[in-house]
Amino acid sequence: MFEVQNLTARYGPLVAVNDVSLSFDTGVRMGIFGHNGSGKSTLLKCLVGGVRDVSGAVAFGGSPIVADQVHRNVMLGIGFVPQVQNVFPNLTVEQNLHIAGSKSDSSFLEEAYALFPLLRERQDQLAGDMSGGEQQMLAVALALMTRPQVLLLDEPTAGLAPAIVKNVLGSLSRINTELGTGLILVEQNVLAALDVVERAIVLKGGRVVFDGASEELRAKEDLWAWF
Amino acid sequence: MEYLLTVMVLIGINVILATSFNLILGYGGLMSVAHPIFYAIGAYCSGLLAIHLQIPVPLSILIGAGIAMVLSFGVSLPSLRVSGDYLVIASIGFQLGILHVINNLEFTGAAGGLTNIPVLNEGPSRSLVFVLLIAVVAACAVMLVGWIVEGDYGRAITAMRNDEEAFSALGRNAMNIKIVLFAIGSGMAGLAGALYAHYFAYVTPEQFGIFTSAALLTMVVVGGAATTWGPLVGAVLLTTLPQAITFLGLPVSIMAPLQGVIYTTLVISFLFARPQGLTGGTRGGGGLEAWSASAAFRARRRAE
Ligand SMILES: Nc1ncnc2c1ncn2[C@@H]1O[C@H](COP(=O)(O)OP(=O)(O)OP(=O)(O)O)[C@@H](O)[C@H]1O
Ligand SMILES: [Mg+2]
Repeated sequence: MFEVQNLTARYGPLVAVNDVSLSFDTGVRMGIFGHNGSGKSTLLKCLVGGVRDVSGAVAFGGSPIVADQVHRNVMLGIGFVPQVQNVFPNLTVEQNLHIAGSKSDSSFLEEAYALFPLLRERQDQLAGDMSGGEQQMLAVALALMTRPQVLLLDEPTAGLAPAIVKNVLGSLSRINTELGTGLILVEQNVLAALDVVERAIVLKGGRVVFDGASEELRAKEDLWAWF
Repeated sequence: MEYLLTVMVLIGINVILATSFNLILGYGGLMSVAHPIFYAIGAYCSGLLAIHLQIPVPLSILIGAGIAMVLSFGVSLPSLRVSGDYLVIASIGFQLGILHVINNLEFTGAAGGLTNIPVLNEGPSRSLVFVLLIAVVAACAVMLVGWIVEGDYGRAITAMRNDEEAFSALGRNAMNIKIVLFAIGSGMAGLAGALYAHYFAYVTPEQFGIFTSAALLTMVVVGGAATTWGPLVGAVLLTTLPQAITFLGLPVSIMAPLQGVIYTTLVISFLFARPQGLTGGTRGGGGLEAWSASAAFRARRRAE
């Protein structure tokens, strides 16, 4: 489904992603790991064309991902949840869901509420007034409103209490099994995330230094040396 | 009486300007300060068309507004690349650049200004008729902006202002919204300029400089950014206040700086004491909160 060929992404002189080639199929459950600044967010953004200065090629379902055309690329069927500021604080929960849903069907709204009942209770609350975990749920629901085939999530559990981390990751797992939506997940909570994903890649200095089954990464004696 | 009517014309012009500026700056969160230059473009284009091509005034007014609308691409296209602080700087450059051209072209009357602009209407009750006209146009401006920011499109504008990246991640095109906001807002400013020109029959480049940007900004902030009535309240207040001060009969050497001091004091006190402006509520993102929400939100998310 995703084909990444010799992808290099730069911010000025800084090379954030360096010659990465990857491919993954529909229904994928993949984790992207690596220490701070290793290029995880940049790689994820490249998958939707969110980085301007890139070379190499990214394609989704045979269609090229064009740099700087995020709004078009995502309509190919990609849900993207950015690392920060992924909800609209000045709008209520329901209004947030309509922003995404305006290109889709209102029956999606019911589905989003079924998936996250808490959001229905909070539908008239301003998103900016919700707690971090609640906002994270809303962000995932927003991305789902576009009916994506694959969901890209940048640290969906950042800053959440361990119990809520389980909760969010559990919901993602459910989305994957129930809706068949692929998951590509950037995570700092490596161990918790390894329970959810089946394939893991590790980035270091913008290069892929590990690509294999999540069990394989978990079994690595020197797991912590990677991070 | 004539004096009062003239003040009312100025109020009407400023209501249109502040309301349209609010569409761009308040609702759109697009930090462009070049609004007065579209006011100038409307005034000069309409005036020049009526003077040199003898185009009927009502038609030249509409063409002037249309040209301002088209030239808004000069600011909206760069704003697709730069935003925030950079847009402030880019827009100042645009404003000063065009002002410099106007200031140095003989054709536009250069620094001396454009004179002998045909007036829209004549006759004994010319001012009264013009006041009524401008009141209708100002009311339409307020309603038009109110209508744009209502409903689905208004929510999309808010979402874009809150976060462009998240907005485009949902398949929505921020570029279209920016272009539309700049075009409508600038067209309205051009209309205000053309109306001004064909009432006062005279415009000078210095009317459209940074001081006017500051005055409009003050009207929007004091009244309440991203609110429907805020710019109207701000425009009425800040147009009448300086007029009221003239009645104190102070010498010009005190008057001119006093006006600056009042504007500055107002902006700063509102920033601290009432960021939502006179009309903004405390919730829902009216006033300066409309802009600061994203920043505050980011800080909170980081802290959590
Ligand atoms: N917009 C940007 N402009 C300039 N440099 C950037 C930008 N975004 C990221 N970088 C740089 O690119 C490198 C990779 O950043 P990236 O955000 O992809 O890392 P990350 O692995 O997601 O880190 P974290 O775990 O902290 O989120 C870093 O050195 C970072 O400083
Ligand atoms: Mg990151």
